[in-house]
Amino acid sequence: MKVEELATLVIAACEVEQVEYMMTGAFAVSYYGIARSTKDVDFVLSLSPSDGVVRVIRRLEPEVSFDTQVQFDTLTWGRRHVGVPRGATGLKVELFELFSDPFVQEQFARRKSMRSGQLGRSTWLPTAEDLIVQKLRWGRSKDLDDVRDVFAVQGPETLDMAYIENWCRTHGTIARLNKILTDLPPL
Amino acid sequence: MSAPNPHDDPAALKELQDAIYRDKVLRARAMSNEARFDEALELTNGVFERMAEGVMWQLGLSEPVEIWNEVRRRMDRLARARDHQFYSAVS
Repeated sequence: MKVEELATLVIAACEVEQVEYMMTGAFAVSYYGIARSTKDVDFVLSLSPSDGVVRVIRRLEPEVSFDTQVQFDTLTWGRRHVGVPRGATGLKVELFELFSDPFVQEQFARRKSMRSGQLGRSTWLPTAEDLIVQKLRWGRSKDLDDVRDVFAVQGPETLDMAYIENWCRTHGTIARLNKILTDLPPL
Repeated sequence: MSAPNPHDDPAALKELQDAIYRDKVLRARAMSNEARFDEALELTNGVFERMAEGVMWQLGLSEPVEIWNEVRRRMDRLARARDHQFYSAVS
């Protein structure tokens, strides 16, 4: 199973079940930064309707086997559902539930639509600014590399830096932001 | 006379790393956002194909089910290392 088939399955399930969604992870990073491969397809799903995630999982069941154990992100306590496609692939699907965190809510509300030729359809992605804020908050080495790449490709002068700095102050990640901006090599 | 080895000179090594990174960034900037998104899909498919080929070669497997089970086992090990202390499983 190719990754675009898996992503399309999830998007179609969300559309049929009328659950709003946003792709995140490597595909959002690649859209704004430097294209890279990934091991999973990540989606954030709205909890409206309240059983939306369950319905999407149920709709995907013929193609994807989901772990019955829900996982929690230990930083924000967001809930994560992990699915393994039944076809020949090493990929996974990760469905993150949208929750009440103010930044997560705003990020989702500001998401934007883009059309992918490879997917043969449109999908939703976070804005570049929200992707940067989210990655700085997680703060793993790969997240910080992703932030550097988005800044390098987009250019800080094209981004709403006041918005980014505001959230970074709220999250206590302003030092991470400043270090990445300072360390950007001349381009 | 051979060229100096940049690994012997931290400043030269940094300059080389920056030049390589600059090339990656300039290539990315020459593409549209949508083209980079689609390239990520292709890169991901390619990486998994190489992993499957590696398993076939290393373990002498030819059955697709066995090959992909082994790829998944390796990916699970990677995920455990990368996500250590980042996710908590609660039933």
